[in-house]
Amino acid sequence: MPRIQTECFGEIEFLESSVFHFPLGLPGFEDERAFVFLDRPGTAPLLFMQSLATPSLCFILLPILAVDAAYELTLDEEQAALLGLSELRPRIGEDVLCAAIVCAARQPDEVPTANLLAPVVVNFRQGVGMQAIQPGARYSHRHPLFGAEEAVPCS
Amino acid sequence: MLVMRRRAGESFLVGDIEIQVLEVGGRRVKLGIRAPESMAIVRREVQITESENLAAAESVSRGVIDSLLSRLGWR
Repeated sequence: MPRIQTECFGEIEFLESSVFHFPLGLPGFEDERAFVFLDRPGTAPLLFMQSLATPSLCFILLPILAVDAAYELTLDEEQAALLGLSELRPRIGEDVLCAAIVCAARQPDEVPTANLLAPVVVNFRQGVGMQAIQPGARYSHRHPLFGAEEAVPCS
Repeated sequence: MLVMRRRAGESFLVGDIEIQVLEVGGRRVKLGIRAPESMAIVRREVQITESENLAAAESVSRGVIDSLLSRLGWR
């Protein structure tokens, strides 16, 4: 099994089938064209998107439906073509993997946020992915993530 | 903010940059931009995503992952 150096997890083994190609990179990381998706013991539901080229580059992801169970993914023709999909509203979890990049915290007292404006969308059958910016102003790029205990109202 | 009404085919100038309204549809407007090649023209949401990606990549460390899990109540 191939191995990779990572800053967060040290040297790890990965499956070739968990490597996804990003022909456009990501905004701000245009040269990063290959990522491996990892889940680590005890870190569910978080996922990790580790660059194959840069050991220090790793994104924390959350499955989009874990953040917003009613999330509606919409692709334009160009995005669908890049992902090798004919459907502009692919089914999350069936046609594509769709996850939000988490920004853990800019400051210690800040709430972590998830980027729902620009989800990572992966066609896992073809091994190709992109960050598919959503149209309109429906979804926030800084959707706050609250802990379950904070979401329970006082009775 | 300066607000201006334009029809399809009409244009306006921002300094040396010409922006022309090419087509007006139901919910979308198609614009043409004539600007020096050296000038970066970026959609606003791409710029937002870029800075958010940089902040997200910067925020990751082993300690952050553990504190994130406990803060979210998933551990």
